Amino acid sequence: MAVLVSAGRRGRPAAPSRRRAAGRRTAGRSLTHLLLLGGGLLWLFPFLWTLGSSLKSPDGFFSKGLNPLPDGVHAGNYRSAWQQASFGRYFLNTVLISGGCVVLVLVATSMAGYVLARTDFPGRKTCIGLISVTLFLPHGYTIIPIFDIVRGLHLLNTVWAVIIVQASSGLVFATFLFMGYFSTMDRQIEDAARVDGASFHQTFWRVMLPLSGPMLATVGLFTCISAWNSFFIPLVFTLSKPELRTLPVGMYSFIGQNSTDWTFLCAGSVISLVPIVVIFLLLQRYFVNGLAGAVKG
Amino acid sequence: MQLLDTAAPKPPTGGRGAAAPAVTAPAHGRWQRIKAARWSYVYLAPLMALLLTFVVYPIFGSLAYAFYRWNGIGSPGDYVGLDNFRQIAHDAIFWRAVGHTFVYAIVVVPVQLLIALVLALTLNNRKLRFASFYRTLFFLPVVTSPAVVGVIVQLMLSNFGDSLNRWLLDAHLIGRPVDWLGNPKIALGIIILVGVWQTLGYNLVYFLAGLQTIPEEVYEAARIDGAGRLRTFTHITVPLLRPVGLMIVILAFIGSFQVFDLVQVLTGGGPYFGTEVVNTYIYHLAFGGNQATATEPNVGLASAASFFYGLLLIGFSVLQVLLFRSLAKRRATGRA
Repeated sequence: MAVLVSAGRRGRPAAPSRRRAAGRRTAGRSLTHLLLLGGGLLWLFPFLWTLGSSLKSPDGFFSKGLNPLPDGVHAGNYRSAWQQASFGRYFLNTVLISGGCVVLVLVATSMAGYVLARTDFPGRKTCIGLISVTLFLPHGYTIIPIFDIVRGLHLLNTVWAVIIVQASSGLVFATFLFMGYFSTMDRQIEDAARVDGASFHQTFWRVMLPLSGPMLATVGLFTCISAWNSFFIPLVFTLSKPELRTLPVGMYSFIGQNSTDWTFLCAGSVISLVPIVVIFLLLQRYFVNGLAGAVKG
Repeated sequence: MQLLDTAAPKPPTGGRGAAAPAVTAPAHGRWQRIKAARWSYVYLAPLMALLLTFVVYPIFGSLAYAFYRWNGIGSPGDYVGLDNFRQIAHDAIFWRAVGHTFVYAIVVVPVQLLIALVLALTLNNRKLRFASFYRTLFFLPVVTSPAVVGVIVQLMLSNFGDSLNRWLLDAHLIGRPVDWLGNPKIALGIIILVGVWQTLGYNLVYFLAGLQTIPEEVYEAARIDGAGRLRTFTHITVPLLRPVGLMIVILAFIGSFQVFDLVQVLTGGGPYFGTEVVNTYIYHLAFGGNQATATEPNVGLASAASFFYGLLLIGFSVLQVLLFRSLAKRRATGRA
């Protein structure tokens, strides 16, 4: 912590001589980089340690301690995590649930965002009001009524239950993002489409939606990350059906049961973390812009 | 509600053949306008259906449960009026959970905001190279699952906790080994530390976004007027950052008050409710599963607790906004 705080104090008021000042500035800049890099490595240390430990032998796990470098490459940890501990199954569940959430949220919120932003119809303001109010109502312990609805729809103990409930949790935010995006688009685009004889559907699916690529990426990424990492919803909906567990829920149940297979839990952590980190690194521009927009708007 | 009746429940699948000049058809009368905009309702239908079923109805549904004693099986029958609310208000464990949650929030938020602000100020420097690389480094924990992070922390403690204990014992700093997650005070400290680490990235990005709204010319003008770094910070950055800053503080508190995953995975609220936060308390009421309580799940009590807590939080948010407003006003009048 002290390291990071002192990083902010870089570059003191200028020295009397200009050359000395320039020299100091270079030194200050190098120090900044050193502190940021050191702090950053320290910041990511838990991940580096997990990655290294996932390749350690059970003995190496203890003898190496905090040293992230493994004693050789014991890839067998991954094999046993994937097969014996059914992390392969959890992985597929997580991919399916995250993918399903992304599709559902993108379809529902882009269409709604479009008509709320670009068309006028009786009840439009009421709808916007209703959507906004849900942000401020005290969200009680709604999982029980949701559980009842899912049971009523005969979706209990299916992967659909997790997809629909998880997708619903992020709808309002995504709708507002799409509304904001579509409302800033030039009206001439729609007019041009209509002059060319495009129907309402063609205007949306062929013109407006392809033009909202950045927002599709932002909302898709938000949804994907929160679904991949979600813990509470998949925990509740897989309590009686362990085959449907996602990676976080699988990890949680394993630390309770076989709490001696350390290296293999490290391998499980890596399997859980790497895909989402890679997706984030590839698309982070959209994620960061989306967050920034949320706090500025 | 009325709107949904006019909308067909099935979502459209392209449907390019069915042309509809919906957007600007001249409309006479309400019914005509509704008919002209029929596709708007169809497009809105999937969202509204999901929202009403899985967000709006459950909010009211859970409020209804709060008036029953009910273990979650079958339909609730045992109406108890306001008893659940009374029981919660008199439950010492609930108030301890509220206490732990507030301690968590009141430590996490300022520590996190301070580090995030310092980092953001450092990275906002246009001359700094690799700034976006550093931002990614410090942001990365945000995109990872709190549950998996909780498991990793347990793995690290099982390993390095032992070594650290041995080292502390050898140095005669402690008399007996520290049980890292078994001692409630230390466990809460670890939860706070991990909480700061995991969600700091949000605030970093928020602050960077806020700093970028301040035009470069303002800093330029201050430099020409001979303002030093400190004066620039206190007289330009801080006041211009205040609107975004208020939002950041509120978001940080809201997030901290909802802490669940990390606590559930690291300690499950134990030992003996020593790290119980409100959300784990409610979870244990609704689903059981806490070794320390051999009681039946009571969904009604859980609903009452969560509503009670929801009201506490709304009260806290209003208080926060009022406090910020009055501070801003006092500063404004003081300057005039």
